[in-house]
Amino acid sequence: MRKTLNGFGLGLRTEHYRDFVESPWHVDWLEIISENYLVAGGKPLYYLDRIRRDYPMVMHGVSLSIGSCDALDSAYLRQLRALVDRVEPAWVSDHLCWTGTGSLNLHDLLPLPYTEATLRQLEPRVAQVQEALGQPLLLENVSSYVRYRADEMSEWEFIRELVRRTGCELLLDVNNVYVSSVNHHFNPHTFIDAMPLTAVRQIHLAGHEEHGSYLIDTHDQPICEAVFDLYLYTVKRLGSIPTMIERDDNIPPLAELIAELDCVRALAQRIQTEQAA
Amino acid sequence: MSTLADLQQRFQQSILRDHSTPGLFAAEGALLAGGGMGVYLQAYRARLTAALGDNFLVLQRALGDDAFAVLAHAYIDAHPSHFRSIRWFGHRLVEFLAAAPERLPHPAVLDLARMDWAMRTAFDAADAAALTADDLAALQLEDWPQRRFTPLPSLQMIDLAWCVEPIWKALDADAATTSEEPKPLAHVLLIWRPTLDCCWRSSDTCEAAALRALTQGASFADCCTVIAESGVPEPAQTAAAFLQRWIAEGLLGKE
Repeated sequence: MRKTLNGFGLGLRTEHYRDFVESPWHVDWLEIISENYLVAGGKPLYYLDRIRRDYPMVMHGVSLSIGSCDALDSAYLRQLRALVDRVEPAWVSDHLCWTGTGSLNLHDLLPLPYTEATLRQLEPRVAQVQEALGQPLLLENVSSYVRYRADEMSEWEFIRELVRRTGCELLLDVNNVYVSSVNHHFNPHTFIDAMPLTAVRQIHLAGHEEHGSYLIDTHDQPICEAVFDLYLYTVKRLGSIPTMIERDDNIPPLAELIAELDCVRALAQRIQTEQAA
Repeated sequence: MSTLADLQQRFQQSILRDHSTPGLFAAEGALLAGGGMGVYLQAYRARLTAALGDNFLVLQRALGDDAFAVLAHAYIDAHPSHFRSIRWFGHRLVEFLAAAPERLPHPAVLDLARMDWAMRTAFDAADAAALTADDLAALQLEDWPQRRFTPLPSLQMIDLAWCVEPIWKALDADAATTSEEPKPLAHVLLIWRPTLDCCWRSSDTCEAAALRALTQGASFADCCTVIAESGVPEPAQTAAAFLQRWIAEGLLGKE
C-alpha cells in the first residue's frame, strides 16, 4: 500500500535532537538526510530511532548521483535500503543532478544538461533505484548557476518528460525554482505551471543568499518574501502538498523554525480555505 | 565516450583544477548569468574544507582558520572524495601530514590530528553491550583460559609521540584557549564509547599489548602470555586487574 504523509515538516538536524526528545513540537513529520545515518552506531542512530518513535519521517539523499555516467553504486543502494527498513519512511528522495564521475564525489548537486541523451541515461536508473529501495523515488529540482550549450529543452520540459517516461515522483523545491529563475532569467510561474499535478508529492522551502545579479541556494536564512509568494502560487495550482523547511547552516533554535513553519502552515491553510469558499 | 560523459568529465576536471573550462556553457565570461562556474569552484573547496574542519575540529583550532584552509586545500587536491557521505572525508589526512610534517608548525600537531580522527571514528562505531562483572562471575573456572574477551567495536588505540591530551581537551572545549608547548612522551591512547559518549585515557605498554592481543582474538591464556612477555612478574594477576578495570570502564563487549 502506498504510504502517505500530510501536513508540514522540518529537516531533522543534530542541533535539535535533544529538543525533539525532551518535548513535543508542532511539526507533523521530519525529513532526515540519509547519508547522516549511514553509520554503524552511536548518537546519530540512537537519536534517529528515538525521534522516529514520535514523528513520521521521509528520507532525503544527497549522493545518489542519479544523472552520473558512472554505474549506480550498489553498496550505497544496499546501505540506503537497510536505512529504509529501519526508518520505514513515507518515501525516499534525492536530487535530479549528478555529484561526480569516475568514482569521485564532488559533494555538490551539479546540474544535468537537459537533453534527450540525459533522459535516456536516467530512464533505467530511476527504475533500478526504485527496485533496489522497494520505494517510490522522488526527484528534486536543484538550483543552478550555469546553463549548458548542449541543452535541448527547458528544465521544466525536461522534468515533465522524465516523469512521463519513468513514473518517478517529484520533490518540488520552490526556493530552487526561484533561485534558478533569477539566475537564468525565466518566469518561475512557467516552471510551476509545467509541473505534472499528480507527480508532486513534497515541497521544500528554504532561504538563499543574494549576490548582486544572482542568487545562491544556501539554506542559511529564513524564507524570503518572493519565495513565500511563489509557494502561494504553487499551493493555488497544485493544492495541499506536504511542505517543509530546510535549514542547513546558521541554524536557529527549534522554536524559531517552528514559528516559521507556522507561518507556512497558516499561508497554505488560508489558500485552501479561500479555494473551498 | 558519450556527450554526457564527456561533459561530466570536463565539468569535474574544472572543479578539481579550480578553473573554468571553455565551451561547456550557454554563455561565458562577462556574459555568463547566474553566478557561473565560479560558484561551483568556490563551493567545492569551501564545502570540503568545512567537512574536514568538522572531522578535525581541534586540529583546525590549533592551526587557526587560515593555516587550516591552506592545509585543507592541499589535502583536497591530493585526495578528492570517493565517499558517498562527506562524514568520511579526511580519512587519509593523518597519513598525508605524517608524510610531509613540514606542513605543520610543530610535530605534536600531528598527534592532535590523530586524536581527532580516532575520536570521530569511535563516535559512530558500531554499538555493543558491555561485559559486566556479573557476566564475569558467571564464568566457570575451567572456561577462563580459553575465554576470549572482545573490546568494544569503538575501541581505538593510537600511538602518540607527544603528551597532547591536555591541549586537545582544552582546544576541544574552547577555541581561544592557549597552552604550553607539549612534552615528548611516547604512549598509547585508548578511545572507546561505552554508550553514547566517547571516553579516553592513556595506557602503558603492557596494557596496550594485552588489549591489542584481545582485538586480534587472543584468549585469556594468550593474553597472560603477552603480559608475561612484557616483563611483568605476575601476569595472571595483572591480567585479572586489567579485566576488572576494563569492565569497570565499559571497554569490553559481551560477545
